Amino acid sequence: MANALKEKPHAESLPLVASAGILRDGKYMAPPADKDGKTWVRTTAQIQASPLDCYELWRNYAAVPLWQEQIKEVRLKGKNSHWVMESRTGKTIEWDEELMQDEPGKRLVWRTVDGDSYNAGEVIFEEAPGDRGTIVTVLQEFGQGRLKTLTDTLTNRNPKQAVIENVRHFKAFMETGEIPRTEGQPHGPRGVTGTVKAEAYGEHIKTPPGLERKAS
Amino acid sequence: MKAVCWMGKSKMETLNVADPTLLNPHDAIIKITRTAICGSDLHLFDGFIPTMQAGDIVGHEFMGIVEDVGKEVTNLKRGDRVVVPFTISCGRCLFCRKQLWSLCDNTNPNAHIAETMMGYTPSGLFGYTHMLGGYAGGQAQYARVPFANVGPLKIESDLPDEKVLFLSDIFPTGYMAADNANIEEGDTVAVWGCGPVGLFAISSAFMLGAARVIAIDRFPERLDLARSLGAVTVNYAEDDVSVLTALKDLTGGMGPDSGIDAVGMEAHSNDLQGAYDKVKTALFMETDRPGVLRQAIMGVRKGGTLSIPGVYGGVLDKVPFGAAMNKGLQMRMGQTHMQKYMKPLLERIEKGQIDPTFLISHRITLDEAPKMYEIWRDKKEKVTKIVIDPWAAKAA
Repeated sequence: MANALKEKPHAESLPLVASAGILRDGKYMAPPADKDGKTWVRTTAQIQASPLDCYELWRNYAAVPLWQEQIKEVRLKGKNSHWVMESRTGKTIEWDEELMQDEPGKRLVWRTVDGDSYNAGEVIFEEAPGDRGTIVTVLQEFGQGRLKTLTDTLTNRNPKQAVIENVRHFKAFMETGEIPRTEGQPHGPRGVTGTVKAEAYGEHIKTPPGLERKAS
Repeated sequence: MKAVCWMGKSKMETLNVADPTLLNPHDAIIKITRTAICGSDLHLFDGFIPTMQAGDIVGHEFMGIVEDVGKEVTNLKRGDRVVVPFTISCGRCLFCRKQLWSLCDNTNPNAHIAETMMGYTPSGLFGYTHMLGGYAGGQAQYARVPFANVGPLKIESDLPDEKVLFLSDIFPTGYMAADNANIEEGDTVAVWGCGPVGLFAISSAFMLGAARVIAIDRFPERLDLARSLGAVTVNYAEDDVSVLTALKDLTGGMGPDSGIDAVGMEAHSNDLQGAYDKVKTALFMETDRPGVLRQAIMGVRKGGTLSIPGVYGGVLDKVPFGAAMNKGLQMRMGQTHMQKYMKPLLERIEKGQIDPTFLISHRITLDEAPKMYEIWRDKKEKVTKIVIDPWAAKAA
C-alpha cells in the first residue's frame, strides 16, 4: 500500500508531526476547541524569507510593538519579558512571560507567569515545501472564556482575531518592511453608517507602525 | 483638496477634504493631472458592491506629477510624471514574484473581510470598497500611492496625458482580457460589451492574431466605434436579433473560438432572465446580474476559452455550469496584473500603434463628476469615456 504510487518526482518527505499540532501520523488535525474557560487560536502564513530571519524578528522583543497590535512595550525582566498592552480606550494591562523553549530558526514556546492576562503559545518556523519560503504557524491559548471573547469582539479586538492580524502584519513586515495601512488618509464625512461600518471592519484598531526594519 | 466622495447608493458629491500625507516608507504623494471615471465605478454608484463607507474617495484611473516620496522610494522623485496602476502591489510576495500582481498578499489592510467573502484576499485597489483595502481613490486633486517603487509607471516622453492615462486600468485590462482568451492566429473572438474595456479588448484581440472579432452591444455609437476598430457588430437590442444565433451564423455554426465578457455584474438583458435577475438582486437574493456570463458560456464553441475582465461581486444564480463542463471550456479571469502589461503597452502607444484617445467622449471638471455619474448610469449623452481635469475651474 505504502508504495502504490511510485511516480512522484517532486514529492518531499512528509513531516509526521508538524506545525503546532496540524499533522499527526500524516493526518490533518483540527485546532483545539474553545472550552473550559480557554480560547484557542491557530493561524499560519507563508513568508518569503528564511526560517532564521523570521525567527530573529519574532524573537526581537524590542521590535514587537512595531508589528503587534496594541502592544505598547516589551522589556526584559530578568530571564522573563514584561509586556504592556494598551487598548483603544487607553486602558493598559501588563503581564510577564517566560520563554519555555527557544530553538533558533525553528521554534519558540512561551507562557504567562504573572499579570493581568494569561496566554501561552508556540510559534514554529519551517521551510515551505518546494523551497517557497517559510511557513510560520502560531498556536496560542488565552485564559478567557467565550463571554469575555465576545465582549472583546464588540468593544475592542478579540484575542483570536488579534493573533490572526498580527501574523498577517508579521508577514507584511518581513516581506516589505512596512504594514499596509489606511488610517490617516483623507475622506469625506463618514456619518453614522460609515462610522459603524468602520468599527465592524476592525478599522478602529490602530495598525502597528511597521516602519523600516533593519535588515538582519 | 477637492475629491469625489461616495456618500451612499446613487449619491456622489465633490467635497473639500484634507490633503493626503505620507503614511508609510514606500508611499508617494501624486498631484493628479488627469483622472477618469471607470465603468466599474458605476457598480459602486449603483450600490452593487458591498463594503463602501460614506465619505470614501472614489476613482482608480489617474496619473500626475510626483509631489513627495517616502524615505524608501528610490526610483521616483518630485516632479516625475507617472501613470498609477489601479491595483496596489508590494513587489515582494510570492504572487508579485509570479507576476500575479493583482493578487498581492501584502496590500489589503482589510484582508480579513476579503478572506471571509472569497477565501483569500486579492491586492488592495484604489477607491474600490473596504473589502479591497479601503484606500482613498484618485478622482481628486492629490492621492497617496502606497508601494510607489512598484506601481507607478514613469512617462519620460512628451506624450500628452490623455494618450497615456488609460494605462492606469482599461487598456491593460482590455489587453489582458485578450491575452487570457488564448487567441491563436486566425481565431474568431466574440466580445460582449463595447465600453472602454471591450473596445480595448477588440483592438488587443487583433494585435494577438484574431482574424475576426464579433462585437456585441446595444448602443449604436459604441458599435460604430467597434466597427471602426475592424470588428463586425451585433446589436442585440434590434428586433429579432438573437446573439446565440448570430454567433452561429457568423461562424459557420461552429461558434467563436473565444469569448470575452467585458460587461460583468450589471448586465442588461432584454429578455425574461433580465427581469428574473432584477427581482432577485432587488430582494438581495442574488448579488449580480450575470446575463452575459450565461450567454457567453452558451455561445463560445466547444473547447473554447472564456475570458472574464468584467467585474463580478458575489454569488451568481442559474449559471449554466453543465454547459461549461460538457463543452470543455476554459475560463480565465481576474483583476488585471497591471505591472506585467503597462510598460509594453506604453511602448505600443509611443510607437504610434494605438491612440487610446479615440474613446473619450466627455472632458469635465471635478465639480461636474457627480452629475456625470448619473448621466452615464442612465446611458444618456452617448457617453463612452469621461476624463476629468481635477484642476479645471467649474464650467460656466
